[in-house]
Amino acid sequence: MKSLRIALTKGRLEKSTVELFEKIGYNCDEIHNKGRKLIFRIADGKFEVVLAKAADVITYVEHGVCDLGVVGKDTILENGTSFYELLDLGFGKCRFALAGKKGIDFFHGYKAKTVATKYPKVTRSFFESKNMDVRVIKIEGSVELAPLVGLSDGIVDIVETGSTLKANNLEVKEYVTDISARLIANTASLKLRKNEIEELVGKMEDIIE
Amino acid sequence: MKKNLRITPEGTKDYLFKECIALNSVCKKIEKVFVNHQFHQVITPGLEFYDLFAPELSGISAESMYKTTDKQGRIVVVRPDSTLPIARMVATRMQNEVLPVRLYYNQAVYRNNPSLTGKYDEIMQMGVELIGSKGKRADLEIITTAIHSLQAVSSDFRIEVGHSMLFNALADSLDTTDEIREEIRGYIESKNYSALNDILDKLPESGTVKSIRRLPSLFGGAEVFEKAEKIIELPAALEALDYLKNLYNELIKLNLRDKVSVDLGLVQRNEYYSGIVFSGYILGYGDAILSGGRYDKIFDRFDCDMGASGFAIYINHIAEQARGLSRSRVPEVLVFARDDKDIMNAILYTETLIKNGVKAQFSDLSDENQAREFAKKLGIKNFEIIGD
Repeated sequence: MKSLRIALTKGRLEKSTVELFEKIGYNCDEIHNKGRKLIFRIADGKFEVVLAKAADVITYVEHGVCDLGVVGKDTILENGTSFYELLDLGFGKCRFALAGKKGIDFFHGYKAKTVATKYPKVTRSFFESKNMDVRVIKIEGSVELAPLVGLSDGIVDIVETGSTLKANNLEVKEYVTDISARLIANTASLKLRKNEIEELVGKMEDIIE
Repeated sequence: MKKNLRITPEGTKDYLFKECIALNSVCKKIEKVFVNHQFHQVITPGLEFYDLFAPELSGISAESMYKTTDKQGRIVVVRPDSTLPIARMVATRMQNEVLPVRLYYNQAVYRNNPSLTGKYDEIMQMGVELIGSKGKRADLEIITTAIHSLQAVSSDFRIEVGHSMLFNALADSLDTTDEIREEIRGYIESKNYSALNDILDKLPESGTVKSIRRLPSLFGGAEVFEKAEKIIELPAALEALDYLKNLYNELIKLNLRDKVSVDLGLVQRNEYYSGIVFSGYILGYGDAILSGGRYDKIFDRFDCDMGASGFAIYINHIAEQARGLSRSRVPEVLVFARDDKDIMNAILYTETLIKNGVKAQFSDLSDENQAREFAKKLGIKNFEIIGD
């Protein structure tokens, strides 16, 4: 039987997931000694791990080339379409927030607001739920710059400690939603390899709780 | 202006040689199952009126349909599904037909999928519709046909069965808006446990809420029914559950125990289905390659009280998994006419060879050296010249 293939979001989520795997008792030496490899065998070949950028984790899982994935809820909200979300892993916690210049009421006035963000889909649906028509501008880098230079009235972005906002005289106007890492599964994989996946999910659940 | 001369629209592709053979081979195998089950082929137009596919009834979103207008400015769509056209056809053109009728189709459907997802916008589909019958016999016949079809093309497949009235009954008894109901349905469909819990936490706790909470995790074998019977109290939902259990126990007789499973969280296109629903999967492809169910409701629109069930199989996805299918496209003999006066003789000679079971091809090149070069490049072993 082919081993289950799991895509992990590179960086912090990868580290936390590997810690979780090691707590279960899976040998993760190959990931610690990466070298130039792209696919790693863990738990003595029971699973294969690939590392990818967040949005790519979803792509690999949706297309079924990876059976499982670990990815932030932020990425799921922005990029997700069809897969199963099996588990809230409890790490990688942060929040989506609407932020703007300190002391200015973002919602004041009748003028349509402009919002800069790396997450246009999340931003659109947030304002749609408020029945507000806003202009959304996609920014790739530091979104905090946009209101400072006058491109936008506010931003929608991920906020952890809020220190970047504070340093730039910005503040949170409203929280959009909580974010944490999730375990996702390909639709067909969950049907075809139910027992193996459920066994892993059960073990992960035991550690998280 | 830049001309799109050399590319095809996103989501479409050309099928060459082996790809066509693989497609045809899959089609033939499935067609045999359909025909053996006494289904008869129909073809519907590529263009239909948008009204037939109204999203609230079809479960197909407006943005995923390719639209244009007809000569009177009415909106038409490039067929996004074959079942609704067939329902239209049966309700209108087949009013005097002896019911039930068994129909099958083999035609593409078109969906305008989001960009850069790698999804096909042109989806080759084969499917059956069993129209004019309700109940256990029809349901078992249609599921069995689906299983036989999958068996014909894959040795490693799964089929899972659910019942749309299970969720509908539970959701009907919730005091909530259509929008929240749709959101709940979506979270069950995507097995998004955390979002489902969040939204249900906002509703007053009740037996129904408790049941819905568990719905997405209730999938697997016979044990699912035991678990569900302990949780679900609502009579209408229990009725659906009982019916499904009954069907499942019959399907076990096919001796495919591990290949047939139950999923009580199967809630796709719920505005469309009104009874059993099922999906099929094959190893190596990441999404369902078969989906179907009972859809009596859609005949209400044509003022017919009609039982109907069916399923569609996504042929191109299966054909892509089919490996090692090949038929040599190299002929054994190339027939060359020396002069123009020999052309017809050469063509007739080629036909004689073909009739005798030889793979022969008439050379349409007029220069002998060119023709010989062509035969060499393609690997045609015999070069025959007609004429003196």
